[in-house]
Amino acid sequence: MGVKKRISGCVATANAVKLADVDVICSYPIRPYTGIMSELARMVADGELDAEFIHGEGEHGQLSVVYGASASGARAFTGSSGVGVTYAMEVYSPISGERLPLQMAIADRTLDPPGDFGSEQTDALCCRDQGWIQGWAASPQEALDLTLMYYRIGEDPRVLLPQYACQDGYFVSHILGEVDIPDAAQVKEFLPPYKNHHVLDPRNPQIIGAQMEPAMGPPMQYQRYQAVESARKVIEEAHDEFARIFGRKYAPWVEEYMTDDAEVVIFMQGGHAETCKTVVKRLRNLGEKVGLVRLRTFRPFPTQQVREALGKFKAVGVIDNSVNFGISGGSGVLLTEARTALYGLGEKVPTLGFVAGLGGEMITHEEFYRMFLKLKEVAKTGKTDKETFWLPFEL
Amino acid sequence: MSVPVKEVPFAGTVPSPQKENEGMITGSWRTRRPILDCDKCTDCQICWISCPDSSINLSDDGLTFNLKYCKGCGICLEVCPVGAISLVPELDFED
Repeated sequence: MGVKKRISGCVATANAVKLADVDVICSYPIRPYTGIMSELARMVADGELDAEFIHGEGEHGQLSVVYGASASGARAFTGSSGVGVTYAMEVYSPISGERLPLQMAIADRTLDPPGDFGSEQTDALCCRDQGWIQGWAASPQEALDLTLMYYRIGEDPRVLLPQYACQDGYFVSHILGEVDIPDAAQVKEFLPPYKNHHVLDPRNPQIIGAQMEPAMGPPMQYQRYQAVESARKVIEEAHDEFARIFGRKYAPWVEEYMTDDAEVVIFMQGGHAETCKTVVKRLRNLGEKVGLVRLRTFRPFPTQQVREALGKFKAVGVIDNSVNFGISGGSGVLLTEARTALYGLGEKVPTLGFVAGLGGEMITHEEFYRMFLKLKEVAKTGKTDKETFWLPFEL
Repeated sequence: MSVPVKEVPFAGTVPSPQKENEGMITGSWRTRRPILDCDKCTDCQICWISCPDSSINLSDDGLTFNLKYCKGCGICLEVCPVGAISLVPELDFED
């Protein structure tokens, strides 16, 4: 049987990496994700985990190390935060193009400026179109579960793609929560050993990442597109299997909270959704018909599921915890993705964009309350003077 | 014209060539040709290790350059500890 402990998101992820019996880990320090690596380093030093622990000379080096490790048949793990994530940008596409299912944990940190240690999802969202599986955990328990699920999804022969297992810096990575750490036998049943499709081996030399002529470009990209699309079915299967073995059931695409008969909802992802839940609960006690829809898998984006989930309401507020200067709609990437999903329904559902919690600030109860108030007004009148609001300055 | 999807190797991974690749002859890119001073050469083979295009051949009579593929990058000249290699402009040669 597993054990229950009060641990942080970082320690929860490290425990998942240990349970996944990872072979190669490559680290480079940057707050806040570095808590994962310090815990893993301890596990390796104490003999709890038999893995090669390599110090990269930077994030670009980190990703290059796990690239090679994964190609040679090892289950590999790395991670980063903030500017570390963007420093390694060059290596993300080659890894998914080579179809190597390694995993990178991202504990969000703001890019510079403001250069603080606070959380903002901008760093990981910069990498959203690199052909990786991506999603956000909202609690330490989910951080552990996401790591296990993503290895299984990514290593499935129908997928073979790398994964970004994201968690909000501090709000998830450094806040303690009760975590059910499963035992190794359960994990073994859920996660079969990694079998590489073409192991690098000196006895059978191969060229990986070969330069190709332009006529090879379209089919190469089409292969990767098909892999991302076929991940949808595998993601659903993995969630079912996870529920069967571990008893924790997650909705694979969107988690709905108090949305029965709701008129207005907030659509968001990540740890701030936990704060939003307490506001929704309080407003429900006061008789308001409000709810929350939390996106669980960001890539591949569940267009159909988001359309079905959000199409039911009179107004939807989309919270972007990231900066996307000059973006269509003026708010953020979640707003544009949600609107694209809803586009098929015509103008049925008014959507508002809220930019909140930047620089690692909390999204407070009062701010959620003001957002719901605005949504109620738009649902009632069908009109709004503005589509996008930066909190706390504009609402 | 694009190649059909089934005809591209999975993930672009292909077997490594075991011999010279006639489809990619790079010697014509060279503007300067490496020349070895056999009297200075100590046969340390550092140039052989360092050549990124494996264009240096070892033999019992000392090393030779494979001019079919040598691009004239000059790394061999940089790494040679005794200065036995020099690069001579291609226009100085008749062939």
